[in-house]
Amino acid sequence: MKPLGFIASATALLLVWGGIKVPWEQRMAKSQRLNAYGFSGPTTVAVREKLGQGLALAFLGGFRGLAANALMLEAHAAWENQQWVRVRSALELATVLQPRVAVFWDMAAWHLAWNAAVAAEQFSGETSETRRRMEARRWIEAGRNLLERGTQAVPEKALLFQRLGDLYWQRLQDYGSAAKWYREALSKGDAPPYLERFVGYAMDKAGDKEGALAYFQDLRGRMGKEPDPARRPEVVDREIQRLEKETHNTAPMEKKSEIRNFRGYSRKP
Amino acid sequence: MIGCLRRLLAVAGNTFLEAVRQKVFAVLLLFGLVIVGGANYFTEFSFQEQFKFLKDLGYASIGLTGLLIGLLGAAQLIPGEIEKRTILTALCRPLRRWEFIWGKYLGLLFLLGLMVGIMATAVWAVLRWKEGQLIASEGSDPAVADLIRGEARDPRMLQAVFLIGVKLAVVAAMAVFFSTIATSTTFVIAMTLMVYLIGHLQSVAREQWLESGETARWWVKSFLVVVSLLIPDFNLYNLIDEIVAGNAVHWRATLEVAGYSVVYIFVLLVAATVAFEGRDI
Repeated sequence: MKPLGFIASATALLLVWGGIKVPWEQRMAKSQRLNAYGFSGPTTVAVREKLGQGLALAFLGGFRGLAANALMLEAHAAWENQQWVRVRSALELATVLQPRVAVFWDMAAWHLAWNAAVAAEQFSGETSETRRRMEARRWIEAGRNLLERGTQAVPEKALLFQRLGDLYWQRLQDYGSAAKWYREALSKGDAPPYLERFVGYAMDKAGDKEGALAYFQDLRGRMGKEPDPARRPEVVDREIQRLEKETHNTAPMEKKSEIRNFRGYSRKP
Repeated sequence: MIGCLRRLLAVAGNTFLEAVRQKVFAVLLLFGLVIVGGANYFTEFSFQEQFKFLKDLGYASIGLTGLLIGLLGAAQLIPGEIEKRTILTALCRPLRRWEFIWGKYLGLLFLLGLMVGIMATAVWAVLRWKEGQLIASEGSDPAVADLIRGEARDPRMLQAVFLIGVKLAVVAAMAVFFSTIATSTTFVIAMTLMVYLIGHLQSVAREQWLESGETARWWVKSFLVVVSLLIPDFNLYNLIDEIVAGNAVHWRATLEVAGYSVVYIFVLLVAATVAFEGRDI
């Protein structure tokens, strides 16, 4: 056989092996995705992000972590200089490179929805208050968008769901949504123990005192007779007492107003 | 059988010693300086982020140094021996060609294994040093101190280092294959680097070929098929990123990737042997 024949044989061997390895690779990739995301189908992370990762990977030769860290450092330096657009682009790219690192999404959202938004509202030099508020709102929405994408990329951890709840609470004053995201965070299993009380606090702040009371009572019931001190049962008891008092105080008032309304209605012909 | 093993080990030992004589271990000093210097660079971040940065830096340094050493070492295996005519003195002895190839690869593997081991120990030492530093500054709360210890002594580091080593072994086998058909070291380095980079995109090509419902032109599809069949999927080793991110990675998944790598290396070395058998020296 000529030398070229040997090379052709070697290539043929590699092609045959390729036919065996492709299904194997496909199965391993699916299994890795299943472990990471909890499902084996295509991830819900945007296609743009996937392609971005792939291209970046090709050029970085697998050293994604290093590049993402460099971007985080760049974002940090830009933050110190109040260059918010640079902060945003560096952080977005860092989360594209390493979408499974929850702290990246967390830090990125904090920079945008808190730092950049506050800077836009209070220190931008813009004279129109409406414009300042609109600009701040834009940054908050950018932070929310990042966190929502983050919860899709790291769906098994509580951290980003908790931060989304914090964002709705602290930046948008939407306590109902905050309660919803805190509940979601609690379903993940690695949520900090204090977060279970925050669902009730958020419901209370949203005006649903009856719901908050029912939630705290249920929570206290779930803690059992000898609860873990880290779950602060005494705080839950205090909240139950306070909410009972508040709901009992408002209930007669509601009754009185109902009676007044009824009387008022009855006076009408 | 024993004679064959002895010959293999003789070639492997010779390859290893040759690499050591070329002072490749001097690179380790540079690596040590990079990692220790990096340890103090991220102090304005939270300890979780500091550990993340440090681990990324450590694993990337191991990967990059190993890649360079594996690549340069493998690139000189055959073309270098042919250029220096030393291959003639080796092959005129009772040494089969396949024994020469496999022995060379084994020697390279010893070198890579030793280097990865030393570098991983250095990373571990720096993490422990950082742990002491952080506990002294932030660890007054026992819960925080436990978290710092957990980050620094994460047993999954072993999994990450193992995966890096296995990935480097595949790259080295790829370089050995190219060195059997190449006439210059530049060709081997360029081809292996290209495969290494494309390997990180192979999964995109494969999924586009197998899962996308889009009807691509025949030449696009052929390109995707060739890339999928001939190039290894280096994205499978991205479990390392999961480990650094603090996500759970089962040993079963790690061992499956290792099994895939071992079979891949075997096939590459067999292909290299076939190609080398027909080569005029």
